Amino acid sequence: MSEVRLEGVTKRYTPAASAAVDDVSLTLTDGGFAVLLGPTGAGKTTTLRLVAGLEKADSGRIFIDDRDVTQEAPSTRDVTFVFQQYSLYPHLTVYDNLAFPLRSPARRQSKSEVEKRVTRVAEMLRIPHKLKNKATQLSGGEMQRVAIGRALVRSPSVYLMDEPLSSLDAKLRAELRLELKRIQHDLGATILYVTHDQVEAMTMASRIGVLSEGKLVQFGTPRQIYEDPDSIYVAERLGTPQINLLPVDLLPSGAILPGTARIGARTEHLRIEADGSGVEGRVVRIEHLGDQSHLHLEVAGHALTALADAHTPLAEGAAIRLTLSEPLCFGSDGRRLRA
Amino acid sequence: MTTPSTLDKVADRAARATPDSVARRIGGLSDKAVAWLFIAPTITLLLAINIFPLIWTVYLSFTNYKANRSARGFQWIGTRNYERVLNDSDIWHTLQVTAHFVVWTMSIQVILGFGLAWLLNRQFKGHSFWTTLILLPMMLSPAVVGNFWTFLYQPQIGLFNYVIGFFAGIDASSFEMLGSVTLAPWAIVIVDTWMWTPYLMLICLAGLRSIPDYIYEAAEVDRASAWRQFWSITVPMVLPFLMLAVLFRAIENFKMFDLVVELTSGGPGSVTELASINLKREAFEKWRTGYSSAFAIILFVTVFGAANIYVKALNRVKQR
Repeated sequence: MSEVRLEGVTKRYTPAASAAVDDVSLTLTDGGFAVLLGPTGAGKTTTLRLVAGLEKADSGRIFIDDRDVTQEAPSTRDVTFVFQQYSLYPHLTVYDNLAFPLRSPARRQSKSEVEKRVTRVAEMLRIPHKLKNKATQLSGGEMQRVAIGRALVRSPSVYLMDEPLSSLDAKLRAELRLELKRIQHDLGATILYVTHDQVEAMTMASRIGVLSEGKLVQFGTPRQIYEDPDSIYVAERLGTPQINLLPVDLLPSGAILPGTARIGARTEHLRIEADGSGVEGRVVRIEHLGDQSHLHLEVAGHALTALADAHTPLAEGAAIRLTLSEPLCFGSDGRRLRA
Repeated sequence: MTTPSTLDKVADRAARATPDSVARRIGGLSDKAVAWLFIAPTITLLLAINIFPLIWTVYLSFTNYKANRSARGFQWIGTRNYERVLNDSDIWHTLQVTAHFVVWTMSIQVILGFGLAWLLNRQFKGHSFWTTLILLPMMLSPAVVGNFWTFLYQPQIGLFNYVIGFFAGIDASSFEMLGSVTLAPWAIVIVDTWMWTPYLMLICLAGLRSIPDYIYEAAEVDRASAWRQFWSITVPMVLPFLMLAVLFRAIENFKMFDLVVELTSGGPGSVTELASINLKREAFEKWRTGYSSAFAIILFVTVFGAANIYVKALNRVKQR
C-alpha cells in the first residue's frame, strides 16, 4: 500500500487543444480514498489514466510510493484499473477473467493460490455461482462486479476506479458502495476513484478533489468541501438539493462580509420562521421524498429550495417567512469570501 | 414498433390499392395461400436448377448412362461406378493434388493474411491506401489473373522469372514454373495465394478491429506482456473470424477450376489436375456420365462432411 503524488501534471491530447488535465498537484496518502468529482470533460478520467500510465503526461511528475513512475509503462506501476465499460475478456470465463492478473509470468503463483484468491474475491462480490459462466453471459451488474473483482484479486499499490458503479441499478450501487468502503477499510487500500455521483463521493471518500476544465479547484475532506467550499463552482457540486444562490439583499442575515456579490444558502442556512420576523415568501411546490420534503419557494421573484419534515403542515400556495443564518458569501468572481 | 393497428392500416391500404381484376381472382385465398404464392417462383427455380440436378446426378451415378449416346439408353448397374471410382489410381492421384493445393494455399494464406491484417491494423499514415491496394487482386476475374500469370511465369520475358533469377542469382530462363513437374504444383499455389490472401486479410482485419481498445488497456494494467496479449486476447478473439474465412476459402479451393485451367489445364502431365478438372474431363471429354456422376457425389459428400465437422469445431471455438 502506498502514497500517490501528482506534481504539476499537464496533459493535452493534441498540441492545439486546451489541456485535458492542467497543472494538477495532489497527494493521496497511504490507505486514503480520494474521489475526483466534476462534470463531464473536467479531466477526471484523464487524471486516472495518467496515474495508470495509459496516457503519458506532457509535463509534471507522478509518484507512487515515492517512486517516479511518470515514464513507466502501466504494467510496471503496480496499479489496477476498473474501467467504466465492463472491460472483461469476452472469450474467457468469469474464473479466467478473475485469474488473468494472477497468471502474469511476472508474478507467477501456484494454481491453488490462484484458486484461493479467485474464490475469495468471488465470494466477496457474491458471484461464486457464476465462475464457470462466460463473461458475456452475465448481467450488467455481474459484469461490473467481475471487473471490480479483477482489480481486487491483486494487491497493488493503488486501485484506480473510473465510475465503477455508474452502470448499476440503485440498489446494487448502494450495496457495492458499502462493500467497496468495507474492502478498502479491511485491505487498507489506497484508492483513487472517479465519479459524478455526489452520494458516492460523500460517503466513501476520505478526500474529495473537485476538477473544473482540467484544473483541480479544491482538494479536501468531504466535510471541508461541503461546508467550506472555495468557490460557487465547488459549492454547487455537493448538496441535495443544490445550494441556493441569492442576491445579497434578498434575505436578512447578520453575517454578510463586505464585497459579497452573491449569497450561497444551503437548506440548513435557511430558517422558516414561525413568528413574524424575516422576509415573506410563498410555497410554490412540495416534493415529498418519504423521509423529508423539498419545499420550492418563491421570495421576491427568486426561486429557492428548502427542506422540511416529511409531515410538514405547509401546503402549496402557503405564505411563509424566511431568514438566513450564517450563509456562505461569494465575491463577484465566484470566489468564496472568508471572514 | 409495428402494432396490430398499424398492421391493419397497412393491410387496408394494400387492399384498396389492389386492382379489381386481381382482387376478384385472389379474393378467396387464405393468407397462407397468398404467402405460398409469393415464394413459389423462388422455390420453383431452386427445385429446377439445384435440387432436381442433384437428385438426377445421384440417379445417374448408379447407371452406365453416356450423355453423348443418350439415344442408346442405359441400364441400372448398382454401385459399380462407385467401386470403379474408389479403385481408380488416377482419382486418388487427383485427390492428392487437390489436397496439396488446399492445404498449402490455406496455410500460407492464413499466415500471410493474418500478418498483413496485423500490420494494417496499426493506425499509420496511408493505411487505407494500402488496404485498397492489397485488396485489388481479389477483385479481378480468375480468368484474367490466370491469363496474365502465364505471362509473368514466362521463362524468357516473365517478370516472375526475372525477379527470382535476379535475387537467386540464377538464369531467369533456366526454370519453367508452369512446365516443370516439380514446380507447377507450387506455381498454382503461388497464384491462388496472390489472388486470395487479401480475402483472409480482410476478414482478419475485421476480427482485429472488433477487439475494443480497452481490453488491451485492461490487459496492460493486468501486467500482460505484448506476447501474452497476442496469444491470450488477439488470437482467441480473431480465431472465429479466421476459421470462417478458411472454411469459405477451403470449400472454394476444393472446387478450384477456372484459375488452374487457365494456368496449366492440369499439366504438365497431370501434376496439377485437381479433382474438378479431372471431373470435367471424365464428364465432358470422355463422356463417362455415370462414372463422373459417382465421382461428383463422392466429392460432394466429402466436402459436405468435412465442412460439417469443421463448423462444429468453429462453434466450439466461438462458445469457448
